[in-house]
Amino acid sequence: MRVPFTKTTLPNGLDVIVHEDRRVPLVAVNVWYHVGSKQEQPGRTGLAHLFEHLMFEGSAHQPSGYFEPLQRAGAAVNGSTSADRTNYWETVPAEAARLALWMEADRMGWMLPALTAARFETQRGVVINERRQSYENRPYGLAQFALLHALFPDDHPYHWPTIGQVPDLQQATLDDAQAFFARFYHPGNASLVVAGDIATGEAMALAADFFGEIPAGPPIEPVTPPALSPTAARLVLADRVELPRLYVAWHSPALAADGDAELDLAADVLANGRTSRLYRRLIFDERVASDVTAAQGSRELGGTFQVVATAAPGRTLDELHRAIVEEVERLGAGGPDDAELERGRAQAEAAFVYRLQSLGGFGGKADQLNAYNTYFGDPDGFERDLARYLDATAETIRTATAASLDPAAAVALSVVPLGQEALALPGSVPAPAGL
Amino acid sequence: MADRFELPQPGAPTALHFPSIQRDELANGMGVWFLPHAGMPALSAVLLIAGGTAGDPPDRPGLAGFVADLADEGAAGRDAIELADAFSRLGGRIELDVGPDVTAISMTSLSRFLAPVLALTADIVARPHLAETDLTRVRDLRTSRLRQLNRSAAAAADRAFLGAVLAGHAYGHGALGTTRSLEAVTLGEARDFWAATFTPRRATLVIAGEASAGEVMSAATAAFGSWSNDGGDPRPVPVPASRHDRRVLVVDRPGAPQSELRVGHLGPARQVDEYHALVTLNAVLGGQFTSRINRNLRETRAITYGARTAFDMRRAGGTFACDTSVQGDATAIAVREILAEMRGMQDEGAVDGDELDAAKASLTRGYVRHFETAAHLVRAMAQLTTYGLDRAVFDRFVPEVDAVTAADLTRVARAFVHPDDATIVVVGDGRHAEALADLGREIVSVVPEF
Repeated sequence: MRVPFTKTTLPNGLDVIVHEDRRVPLVAVNVWYHVGSKQEQPGRTGLAHLFEHLMFEGSAHQPSGYFEPLQRAGAAVNGSTSADRTNYWETVPAEAARLALWMEADRMGWMLPALTAARFETQRGVVINERRQSYENRPYGLAQFALLHALFPDDHPYHWPTIGQVPDLQQATLDDAQAFFARFYHPGNASLVVAGDIATGEAMALAADFFGEIPAGPPIEPVTPPALSPTAARLVLADRVELPRLYVAWHSPALAADGDAELDLAADVLANGRTSRLYRRLIFDERVASDVTAAQGSRELGGTFQVVATAAPGRTLDELHRAIVEEVERLGAGGPDDAELERGRAQAEAAFVYRLQSLGGFGGKADQLNAYNTYFGDPDGFERDLARYLDATAETIRTATAASLDPAAAVALSVVPLGQEALALPGSVPAPAGL
Repeated sequence: MADRFELPQPGAPTALHFPSIQRDELANGMGVWFLPHAGMPALSAVLLIAGGTAGDPPDRPGLAGFVADLADEGAAGRDAIELADAFSRLGGRIELDVGPDVTAISMTSLSRFLAPVLALTADIVARPHLAETDLTRVRDLRTSRLRQLNRSAAAAADRAFLGAVLAGHAYGHGALGTTRSLEAVTLGEARDFWAATFTPRRATLVIAGEASAGEVMSAATAAFGSWSNDGGDPRPVPVPASRHDRRVLVVDRPGAPQSELRVGHLGPARQVDEYHALVTLNAVLGGQFTSRINRNLRETRAITYGARTAFDMRRAGGTFACDTSVQGDATAIAVREILAEMRGMQDEGAVDGDELDAAKASLTRGYVRHFETAAHLVRAMAQLTTYGLDRAVFDRFVPEVDAVTAADLTRVARAFVHPDDATIVVVGDGRHAEALADLGREIVSVVPEF
């Protein structure tokens, strides 16, 4: 299960990675910038994502916007921003590879001349509406914001949501955007993948031709977050929801750190799918919950582990909380059994195969090569990544669970219907407004 | 380097030739369709059973979805958890989806586990327990889901829209049905429905991936050969009677920061003659990012994160609608602009040559992207069986779209887009809907049934 590639670093610092796969006449172009909301400052949150929107509006030599010429060439186009990175991709018919590369180069090198105040204003409005649609007007949509706010202190860059806080979005200026580009959008902070139906030599030559003369940028200081201390809190958020839902969240290992893969496997043992312990107990046997999930969300500066369960009508969050605590403690004491371990391995191995089916798009081969290159400096990460899962044992899963998931050091958030705050876990205090 | 700052033009496109499907049939009448797709040791498969939500008895919306959900709660001596365990030890995945016209059981499997994954799926469709205790548990989960969805603006809008535009028609509800209906379902009804619909004569197994036709046939025979339910063909779904509901339907959500909108009406079936002109029309009007409605509401006015139009073409009929969510105080302007953009498509010379060329090029050049993976090939084959199409539709798509003219667009816009007769659904703060009074339409408050 190898993904063969060739990697070069241009003199200006741009990593160029080419993966040939000639089966279908498609080419995936994928660019990662190693910048996300973790590089923002309090009071200026949301800038990294707002900037991502601006990148589609035009560049010096294609000032009328990025969607029109790419769509006309048959491309699928998108981008996304997280706390750690920003990515952009086009999946194009092979005959448009040159166009897609040219456009990524033009906005990497020559974006600012096309950035106007009018465009900035428009995208500010679009982003505020994105925030309304995806979070504010969605049941339970603010829960993740409340958890990040509680788990990470004010001066930690994971304290705020990537979409940004509304007053900050309203106050952001064109100057902020220009400064952000100058600081973070340059070849040394970027990684380009070209994957699909194109010869390696041709892709390398195009990349050198289009990106080679973009000036190198200033070195980027790593973000050094404040130390985290164990956090225990009980919070309640009243929202337009029907059924109370409980979130139990912990700090957990960072991306690829010791225990990260183990906690990913622990999440499946605990609460993912019908074979999981909490599904069996809360939904199948006791019928006190209507859904339950768990996830290890690992990022560069640290992770969060969450168990989330929604009460069945008439049942209390207290019942769910007790069961979650018991099952987390039981896994921390006894580890997974053989069947759980076997399932986890089979699922991990299969998932790695399924992940290699698409060239482009979010999570396609090009995106994964860039993820490995951006986070670990080496695109050749597939087998090493899978090995983390296959090497996990009952004992390492048990240890990681016990080390990270201390029930006395968790944030428990109750999301309850408006006016029914009494349905929260006892002792909960209101989550702050203006998340 | 002279051309460094000049936008490169894409080269000549490669023509698409959809491969020949290897079709076979088991003795019990079940179809088996296969396309080899090498390169990854994985398979994508779907078992399609003709008949979906449109086959629900009129007083039991949601029955087909309920029965499909029950099937994998216990089968051939294994309970729900044991079935899930068996799939996950193989690294396999299964997903049941009940659409309007067809019930689809999708599988993802490593190539080497083809036979056991098919055998498990066969247990689920041919030997489900359909036990009382599973029925009550699944009913509770589905009614909880309905309660939750009631708070989703998008789900409320879809329900209000479909319920109005397809009132009384078999397409007028979704797979979850209503709490009232689910509470009335008896075990006997569920079993009868399963026996009548889960039959090999209605079923087609569609597979793509790394395998040989012989392996696929022998695994399919071993798994499904003994499946012997005997039932009739699905009841044909009647063509929805042409009618219009010109009202503004308001689902009041006091304090909501946005209004979820649906603006639309009945639309054609998938087999419509003007399919390619309609797809092109939609690409100009609202099918993609650069379409008129998204440019207007998002890129000019910044009142939404996005707005799209779509023809939802089903076997016997469908709908056409614009879907969007806009900031509350822009509700009225958004509705007026959507209607104006729809009307604009009907004007003589509405679409100039370049706009038409761009829309056509995006459809034709981008078409190959829909045939990349095994899952894509399975989806394509599933369309053929769901809508009764010939595989030549895939090879014909590009030349047919290339042939669409501006006059064709005007003609189909007049025939298939009816802004003045559209139903308008607003799920948002009722105060913002009051500004729609000058549309001269009846404004009524509705509460969609969940």
